Amino acid sequence: MNDIVISILSLGLIGLGFSLLLAFLNKKLRVKEDPLIEKTLNLLPGLNCGACGSSGCRAFAENIIKHKKIFNGCLPGGKELNETLIKLLGIDAKVSDHKLVLVCHCGADKQQKKKSHSYQGPKNCVAADIISAGYDCIYSCLGFGDCIEVCPTAALSLKDEKIHIDQEKCISCGRCVKKCPRRLFELTPAREPMDSFFVACNSKEKGKNVTAVCKRGCIGCGICTRVDNSPFYLKNNLAYLDYSRIEQLKPLEEAKSKCPTKCIDRIVPITIYV
Amino acid sequence: MKNLFLIFISTILINNFVLTYFLGICPFLGVSGRIESAFGMGMAVTFVMTLATSISWLIYHNILTAFNLIFLEYVVFILVIASLVQIVEMFIRKFSPALYQALGLYLPLITTNCAILGAALFMVAKNYGFAEAVTFGFSGGLGFSLVLLIMAGIRQELNYADIPQVFKGASITLITAGLLSLIFMGFSGLISA
Repeated sequence: MNDIVISILSLGLIGLGFSLLLAFLNKKLRVKEDPLIEKTLNLLPGLNCGACGSSGCRAFAENIIKHKKIFNGCLPGGKELNETLIKLLGIDAKVSDHKLVLVCHCGADKQQKKKSHSYQGPKNCVAADIISAGYDCIYSCLGFGDCIEVCPTAALSLKDEKIHIDQEKCISCGRCVKKCPRRLFELTPAREPMDSFFVACNSKEKGKNVTAVCKRGCIGCGICTRVDNSPFYLKNNLAYLDYSRIEQLKPLEEAKSKCPTKCIDRIVPITIYV
Repeated sequence: MKNLFLIFISTILINNFVLTYFLGICPFLGVSGRIESAFGMGMAVTFVMTLATSISWLIYHNILTAFNLIFLEYVVFILVIASLVQIVEMFIRKFSPALYQALGLYLPLITTNCAILGAALFMVAKNYGFAEAVTFGFSGGLGFSLVLLIMAGIRQELNYADIPQVFKGASITLITAGLLSLIFMGFSGLISA
């Protein structure tokens, strides 16, 4: 009987001592947190995608409150969210109308690109790129889907060994842009509805070498640059689209229809605000 | 002094908590994905283990043995570890936000790390004095960190290896852990009894 009483008492006292110590320290060591952080966090999408340059939504919220600056803003949040954030912080800044649209500069599918050898190594793009394995075109999409793995919203998918981008799911975070070992992705500035054009090829080879390995490669013929008011230009045997020179829709459509290998592509404008 | 050094070496290499006693396997497999997080976890465990063994030693020898309550050691040690982790977390949060950012996630995990409770119980079973107990706790934590870092390094390399489909994921991790354990058996002749 005596043992029970002593053990209950001593254990209770030890527990009480620790709990009192904890309660005391909790009061003494309480960290005051800015209530703004909590408010901002509730507004942010919470994807922790890292598109803003911070490591996550919380770091971004702390950053903008500390520096009283919006920096590049929250990309997935879009214009409305960034305007709310600016209002919340009480700072003077403007949100641009430009939206970033993700495009992939390789538009050839399984039937269009040639493959004359088989690759037995690790099934990921980074490893395959080191030894230029995969398809005969050394600029093409490797088709192992490293980008699909890093995409936080599952906007990317492989169809016929060609990357398909679901524009409604894409939040323009740019993780795939950094991941792709062949630098095929680009975030293009977009102004609807003219935003939606891009060159679906990244090959800097001469025309003859391109046609030897791919049916949809840019051969550098320059037809798109000779359209009236054309925003296209040629560099290293590859056509580029200068987004700052786009003024009208007509030259873009004309260039698309005249391209002999059909490698100028168009993303059908997304209608989000129906 | 020689005694302390022997404890130090033997706890890190020969009687390693993870690879010889198989304690703390959960964080060993769970947090060894990346080297940075493994390092954070290792440092946090070392810190808490050192503190836990020293405070457990004080309580065990000054309260439990004095009142003849040795059968309560398990409960008391768990109490000590849980409260310690809480206190450490509060301290770090207040005085070093950067360290809190780095360790924050792992601190609550340590509460349920059986290697810590193991260290406290072993220290009692081996009849260590205070200095020996502190050395034992500290080197136990260091040994845990060492193994965690080795495992994280191997697993990062494994990401790029061509592993047969059936071995992917958990099974290759467990096989790696087993091989590591075998390798650490090689240290057993280092100190002759």
